Amino acid sequence: MSSKVNLSWIASQFEDKNDLIQKKLELDHKQITVLFIKSLIDQELYQKYIINPFFELPTQEQFNLYLFALPQFQEVPSKEKALYFVMEGNVLIEIQDNLYSLDFKLSKNSDVNSTSVETTIHGSELALSDNLMTNINVIRSSYHQPSLMIEYFEKGEVNKPKMALIYDDKKVKRKALESIREKLEKIDMQVITEAPQFNTLLNDQRYSLFPKMLLTERPDRIVYNLAGGKVILLVDGSPQSMIAPVVFFDFMTTMEDNYHTLAISYYLKLLRYIGIFVCILLPGIYIGAVSFSPEVFRTELMLTIAGSRMGVPFTSFVEVLFMLFFMELLLEASIRLPKAISATAATVGGLILGTAVTEAALASNIMVIIVSAVAISTFVIPVNEMAFAIRIVRLILIVIASIFGLAGLTLGFLCFIMYLVNLTSFGEPYLRFYNYRKGNQDSEGQA
Amino acid sequence: MLIKKRMKVKLFILITIPFLVVLTGCGEFKDIDKMVFVSMIGIDETDDPEKPYKIILKLYVPTSSFRQNPTPEYTYLSKNGKTLAETISILESHLDKELDFGHSKLIVVGEKILQNDNYKEILDFLIRRPDIQMISYFAVGRPNAEEIIKFLPAGETALQPTIFNYFDNNGAESSYIISTFLFDFRRRLKEEGIDPILPIVEMNEPKTHFIINKSIVLADNRPPYELDTDKTLLFKTLSMNAKTIFFAVKREREYFVSRIDSIKSKYNVNVENNKASIKIEMKLAGVITESKNTLSSKELSRYSKMLDEEMKEKVSEFIHEMKREGYDPFGFGLKYYAHTLPKNRMTHEEWLEAYKNADVEVVVKSNLKSTGSIQ
Amino acid sequence: MSRFYYYLVMINMIANIISAVPTILLRYRNDGAVLSLIVGIILGLVIVIVYTKFFNAFPGKTFPELLVQTTSKWFYYPLLFFMAVMWFIAGISTLITYSFLLIRYLTPDIPIMLIGLTLILSIIFGCFMKTDRVLYTIEIVFVINFPIIIFIIIKAYTSKNLNWDFIREAMLHVVQAPNIHAVSSSIFLFLGVVNLVIFNRFFTQKQNFGLKQIIVLVFIAIATTFTTYFIPIGFHGSETVGELIYPWIATSDSMRMRYFVIERLVYVFLLLYLSMAFLSILIHWHVAVELFKYIFKLEKMKFKGINIGYIILIVFFTVSSLYIIVSLTEYQLFQYSKYFFNIAVVNFFAMIFLFIYIIRRMKGANKKANES
Repeated sequence: MSSKVNLSWIASQFEDKNDLIQKKLELDHKQITVLFIKSLIDQELYQKYIINPFFELPTQEQFNLYLFALPQFQEVPSKEKALYFVMEGNVLIEIQDNLYSLDFKLSKNSDVNSTSVETTIHGSELALSDNLMTNINVIRSSYHQPSLMIEYFEKGEVNKPKMALIYDDKKVKRKALESIREKLEKIDMQVITEAPQFNTLLNDQRYSLFPKMLLTERPDRIVYNLAGGKVILLVDGSPQSMIAPVVFFDFMTTMEDNYHTLAISYYLKLLRYIGIFVCILLPGIYIGAVSFSPEVFRTELMLTIAGSRMGVPFTSFVEVLFMLFFMELLLEASIRLPKAISATAATVGGLILGTAVTEAALASNIMVIIVSAVAISTFVIPVNEMAFAIRIVRLILIVIASIFGLAGLTLGFLCFIMYLVNLTSFGEPYLRFYNYRKGNQDSEGQA
Repeated sequence: MLIKKRMKVKLFILITIPFLVVLTGCGEFKDIDKMVFVSMIGIDETDDPEKPYKIILKLYVPTSSFRQNPTPEYTYLSKNGKTLAETISILESHLDKELDFGHSKLIVVGEKILQNDNYKEILDFLIRRPDIQMISYFAVGRPNAEEIIKFLPAGETALQPTIFNYFDNNGAESSYIISTFLFDFRRRLKEEGIDPILPIVEMNEPKTHFIINKSIVLADNRPPYELDTDKTLLFKTLSMNAKTIFFAVKREREYFVSRIDSIKSKYNVNVENNKASIKIEMKLAGVITESKNTLSSKELSRYSKMLDEEMKEKVSEFIHEMKREGYDPFGFGLKYYAHTLPKNRMTHEEWLEAYKNADVEVVVKSNLKSTGSIQ
Repeated sequence: MSRFYYYLVMINMIANIISAVPTILLRYRNDGAVLSLIVGIILGLVIVIVYTKFFNAFPGKTFPELLVQTTSKWFYYPLLFFMAVMWFIAGISTLITYSFLLIRYLTPDIPIMLIGLTLILSIIFGCFMKTDRVLYTIEIVFVINFPIIIFIIIKAYTSKNLNWDFIREAMLHVVQAPNIHAVSSSIFLFLGVVNLVIFNRFFTQKQNFGLKQIIVLVFIAIATTFTTYFIPIGFHGSETVGELIYPWIATSDSMRMRYFVIERLVYVFLLLYLSMAFLSILIHWHVAVELFKYIFKLEKMKFKGINIGYIILIVFFTVSSLYIIVSLTEYQLFQYSKYFFNIAVVNFFAMIFLFIYIIRRMKGANKKANES
């Protein structure tokens, strides 16, 4: 099939939209046809690398050689590929019945953003950008290994964004990589716009509570995880990347842990784990102690609680749910609100509501303290998705504690651990202590 | 794989649904404001043979804010009855709330109860009930339990009954207070070779505070034997429970008081040909805190000697008295059993006989380190 | 040895503190319990070493797999069934003891049926997990609880109220001839190693099992046995301790944490042992479930994609243990536990001969395989 026919086929695909430009240039036996979408290409580059040489170089052969030497030069294997190239921002050039493509893509979104979700005190403030190529550039330039593999593919039948699967070929966990590839094959979606969508797309368990992939916007976290043998998924146009497979402890680390001295980072980790225990268990403990076994805690404490609950019309269970409900509302609301207002909302909600509720004897003072302690400790969890999951677990444990008291709470917590252990993220057990033996000489296997 | 996943979803539902169903019909929910906590239990003996026990319960009244209302408030319940469990269940009907014994930390029995063997039944009841702490203190009330229970000393604040602090060694660290836990009372009572000792709680005359510096020793088939303040101190010293004691020495024209803050004592019991010999070694160290005469640092070793002799005299007198009367709160018998194989052991009666005629040897080694800030 | 191996051995020892073992031992305190303990430790260690060496010789293989290779059907099906029932009962005995404890101490208002049901429901689904996941669960729960166990033990040994004279007095009973019930219940402490019949699946590499590991085991064994038996005596006296139904609960109630939010140690102890009981039942029932699966080929019983076999097993476990919980009294519990310990100990000793047979057969099989 001649390239002329190809060109006209491509043009017909666009049905004469005026955005598509097809031009024929002829001068002293030199003759080329160019085809591109005006809004997608960098017109300066086009002028500099195609138009100028065309008029300056004396012969067709020289011009051909010149084009061939350009780094943006690519051969075009088929007309479908040609169409894709055009849509990606390439310029198609037809010379003597051959079709070539030159990448002059113009991207206005290639600046790196600053971190907004995973903010840290130490470490880089820069995050990923919206542009896939920039992102890969950022990753490649901070991970110097020839074994770094980048596989491109497209998914999403309608918008067909370019995506990349990045891993270190030497370190990657093969089983996980295979499973990710397999699941990627099966994706059947019309539109994919952001990387976080993969969290649900690659997950066969619809009701799974915990995230199986880690969302991050920090290049340093990506590099850190690449070195740990993990696979990164990037989508063009999305400033976030997904990391898989992940384990529970990945959600409990911040990149800052590596930037502190050992003692400080252990202290911070300890704080975080205590935080997660407090945030899961504290409301349940309150219910269990107040309604089932008031003899567990020391006398002074129980009498103080009993005193502060005087006149509260609800049982402890309703009291906890009532206060937690408003706290959760407050959290949701302050995410949606503009930054300027959200601080006010938190003050109004937290302070005024808290005092008013105790003044009106709708909840005890101690309940307000517990709810705020729980709210604070929720924020200690470094990754948001985990915090969301933990909030749901907390609700379940509250329900269990209000049926069976402290014993039920303990059992519920054990079941929660069992559930986490039983989860699998792309072939990796979700929760287990690592084998700190040298190398991979485990003396036990998986069964 | 897929089936397993589906299984898991179903299992999840299987778990949650019963929980929710049970929750809706949950009738075991009992809030803390529907409970009333017992602070102490008092048990007295009445003159009525039909209803020999009088139970007095001191109940906490929760206050909404400790700061606003720091004065203590209690309510009391009392009732005579034939058995303890029945009486308590009747007492529960006097209240709109449920009685919770889990926080009761003190059990006071009237002096009269100790006169006969009733305290064994009381103990049985207290141990059998799972919600009564085994670490609650057991004390004897003088003149009776009711007055002690109902007495509010001056300066008491809400939520913290003063009397607990006496036994806790938390506030006061007196060397005269014996604190006996419930489980300790039980094991001393039931084991052969060691006898229970209980503190006596009294009030001072204008009734402003408690006085706890005497104790009472119980033994099988014998009336309770009261130890006065000095003997209580000696007992505490010998059983190494006292942290610091003040001990006066009056000898060879010197009269000084030493503060002994390191006490170590060791007993040895030997039996040969049914003849028991008890050897007590004590090591004391301390300083002199008060003296009638001027002291000389050079002569500290002499003072130590004097302390040795004084202590030795007092201790052997005390132990002779105990063995003469046949009481053994130190556990000499137990010491003997702990060093004798079961087949070689004397029977309990034989041992008691041997104990009565035992030789007592007391060795005191004291070391006075200083005469205080002045000579 | 892999650390998971020690978890299996240790959890059985630690969890049995709340089971009938100390009660039975203390009941025979004047009839040779002390010597029984020593005999028990020696025989128990023999079992531990033999079982470990045996399973170590066949890394990654479960006991049913070995039996199928070496013995015939009429022999191994009844044997496996017997073992499965055995392990099921072992789980039940812990379950019942703990249900009784809960209703007595922590949640007296909740009906026993509900307590039992909650315990069963929270454990039973875990038993169907893969073996490695069961071990990971054990590890995490154990690591969370281990500091508390150490705390309680230190607290007990340093307590002023621990009277060593009682302990010495009790120790002198060592001269009395051992009692069969006491011996078998103290051997039962060591039977955690029998869980290897299924859990050996996880240890796919040959483990290092030499003198060093044995010394560690001896140390653990002596420490736990001593603590199990003598600490309650030190707190409650050598005579009266026998009157206590749950000696360890009474013991932990005799300790006080003066400055902590929870003042009575018994509640920390109860909640801690809830986790330990959970793990113990999880291990036992996992083995039972795997054996039942093997005997009845439960994976293949399917109806419209739902695995009927599993559901039957879950229902069977739940209903039968609930029935037993409701119908048993404390006295019966201790009596039956006693007999159960005896049968278990005899059975697992007898199995040593079977092991010798299997090893011979396996050697022969390997030779044949090499020749052909």
